[in-house]
Amino acid sequence: MKHVVFGAVSALALGLGAAQAQDYPTKEIQGIIQWGAGGSTDTVMRAVTPHAEEVLGGTVVMQNMTGAVGAIALNYVADAEADGYTVLMGAENPMLYKIMGLGDKDYSEFTPINILARGTPLLVANSDAPFNDYAEMVEYVKAHPGEVRFGATGPGGLPSVITAMINTIEGKLDYISVPYDGDGPALTALQGGAIDVMPAVLGAAIEGVRAGNMKPLAVFDVAPNSKLPDVPAVTSFNDGYNTYLPWGPFFGVFVPNGTPDDVVAKLSAAYSEGAKNPDFVELMDNRGFTLMGISGDEANQFLTKWQQGTAWLLQDAGETKASPEEFGIARPAN
Amino acid sequence: METLLAFLTVFTHPELLLLVGVGTFAGVYVGAIPGLSVTMAVSILISFTFSWDVHPAIALMIGIYMGGVYGGSRTAILLNIPGAPSAIATALDGYPMAQRGEAGTAIGVTTVMSFFGGFIGIAVLAVAAPFVSDFALKFQPRDYMLLAVLGILLVGSLSTGSLLKGIFAGALGIAIGAVGRDPLTFTERFTFDLKLMEGGISFIAVMIGMFGVSEALMQLHHVNKAAVRQKISRIVPSFSTIRKYLPLSLQTSSIGVIIGALPGTGGDIAALMAYDHAKRVTKSPEVPFGKGAMEGLVAPETANNAAVGGAFIPMMTLGIPGDAVTAIMIGALFIHGLNPGPMLMIDQPDMFWFIVGALVMANFFMLLFGLTGIKLFTRIVEMPRAVLIPLIMLLSIVGAYAVNNSISDVYWMLGFGVFGYFMRHYGYPLGPVILGVILSRLLDDNWRRAIISEREDLGRFFAGLFSSPLSTILFLSVVLIFVSQTPLWTRAKARLARKAA
Repeated sequence: MKHVVFGAVSALALGLGAAQAQDYPTKEIQGIIQWGAGGSTDTVMRAVTPHAEEVLGGTVVMQNMTGAVGAIALNYVADAEADGYTVLMGAENPMLYKIMGLGDKDYSEFTPINILARGTPLLVANSDAPFNDYAEMVEYVKAHPGEVRFGATGPGGLPSVITAMINTIEGKLDYISVPYDGDGPALTALQGGAIDVMPAVLGAAIEGVRAGNMKPLAVFDVAPNSKLPDVPAVTSFNDGYNTYLPWGPFFGVFVPNGTPDDVVAKLSAAYSEGAKNPDFVELMDNRGFTLMGISGDEANQFLTKWQQGTAWLLQDAGETKASPEEFGIARPAN
Repeated sequence: METLLAFLTVFTHPELLLLVGVGTFAGVYVGAIPGLSVTMAVSILISFTFSWDVHPAIALMIGIYMGGVYGGSRTAILLNIPGAPSAIATALDGYPMAQRGEAGTAIGVTTVMSFFGGFIGIAVLAVAAPFVSDFALKFQPRDYMLLAVLGILLVGSLSTGSLLKGIFAGALGIAIGAVGRDPLTFTERFTFDLKLMEGGISFIAVMIGMFGVSEALMQLHHVNKAAVRQKISRIVPSFSTIRKYLPLSLQTSSIGVIIGALPGTGGDIAALMAYDHAKRVTKSPEVPFGKGAMEGLVAPETANNAAVGGAFIPMMTLGIPGDAVTAIMIGALFIHGLNPGPMLMIDQPDMFWFIVGALVMANFFMLLFGLTGIKLFTRIVEMPRAVLIPLIMLLSIVGAYAVNNSISDVYWMLGFGVFGYFMRHYGYPLGPVILGVILSRLLDDNWRRAIISEREDLGRFFAGLFSSPLSTILFLSVVLIFVSQTPLWTRAKARLARKAA
């Protein structure tokens, strides 16, 4: 009798366990956004999640958790239970934490649910700057060492990667790098003339370019962008960039490693379906983001390749605190 | 004609009118509770209004924004706990008034003056937005730095009693603001290798602790004292009162609009600067500042509501947020399929006029909700202390937790509360601490940007100060204000006066 009861209870428990994974989500999911309200990551996540919720049949409560270049949010989700009820909504930065001495965790501790989209870098200048395209700028900086002011967003930010590329390919340029806390404030300073040149993600600068408040020097991609077809790709000025491009910041949704497979599958399906919503597609296209919508192995491969390329580029430019080798980040094959 | 139609959209659509009203009403209460911020409310609304049309969504957000900026003054006056950073200066003179039983008058004046300031802000937005945004863009890192220095000189105005203690408190605030990873180089500062300190100390937690908890602890000293009966016979200030403060409120509103329009500074700094301005220009207040001067209420309240209109100026003309709330609204416009940026005013002028209309409406609702229900609110201060003190503690804990949903913020808050209690006990003013925290990053980041831009050359930096009229004026104001606070100046002035006589 005892055995029967025990059996029944354990069967019930097992059944419950299975039912729980199947019924996921049974409660609200907490979505931790790595960056502040109103930023690109925030906007992208708040735009896609309602569509994903519809597919998922659950609620995702989004919360901004800022500080320490996103490391606070990353650590919070990494320490949370791996049950799919705490999700990280982040950008590319954590991939460089280790080599920049900002933290000891990166996305290798996470399972990618969906890498939603990738941004294209654009080099813009103040509309009164004495150069009109990328080649003229390089020439001007070489002729006037220590005069041109470049905006930056701190170690590991997009501008630091782009200037590392420029320094690697054109030889070390002598310019002043002025740090801002984000590309928004830096682009504001560019329009006010406090800085002369700014590498920014295309989406952040495109409206300013359209209005003629800043001038585009080059798109950092292998081909011109359909949103700004008149702006030449940087590879048309120098072939050398083909080694590093296309490169760009990205946005993704992650859960900690160890999350049950079926939960990962359900979340992935929800986000890849949600990202196909025409409203979201149009919104991303307007801002010049390239939709990716990859998950699983494909996403892992993308992350590895991105990390190897970027980490070694920064290492060779002498901008890292610790060598990628220490963390087992292999030098890219080419 | 189309402009007029767009402007009138809110007035002609009952559901939009209702949403602005609901938003303003909610905003007043969200703003009044320390820790529940407008920024937070608006970012929650983005998800909530996702499936709505753009007009109702924006209408609701504008209501919350306008109401929330005003609401912060409520708890500042009644409990000496500013509901929002922009109401810090309001507490300085509002709370003494409430202690004299004049809470009703204080709230009445605050409401009418907030309405006036809000109106000036909206008017500038409507007629001069492109000019103001051009002017705001001219601010270079060195100008922001000078502005911060100008702000730090307010320590003198905010310190009651010993100036030395005030300077100490201000310096402490600047140090608190510097804790955590430095936003420019990501280097850790004052973190002592503790994970807890890495993200910095939440400014709101410091504010709630210093004002809320320390106030509750102070109240414990006289638990048995009967509460002050509040006179609420006359709430709406008389026309002659309003006329008396009109010149001052015009000046402080202008300060509010400009500071609000600058990307990187908002209502909190505007209100403090306006308070300082009022103290400087008011030669003989009926009641001294810090003891319940009416001017001390008028100045910050006109300025912080004028800053609302100001914050929309760079947002609408350039797509650059004027403060944290407008940053989220830009995100909202973007999600609703608009492209906020310099082209928005050209491609979709309707949106601009719709927002102006909604702001006007929200301003009227603010006046309405502000002047009603005062009786109920003043009851709060008449409550026995045995009820009031636990209530303050509860509000403080909820508020500190809500900022980041983090329990460590609650510990910070309690710690600073106890610390603030002892500071008060030994006559150290708390205002300058908060001022220091607010200005810490503005000063530090911009000083470094300014000097980096000049290749770390002090000579070039000072030459730069005189290369633009804006920097020169700011620099001279800093020097003048500084000199005017030294004994040397007072003596020179006395001697001049004697000679003249």
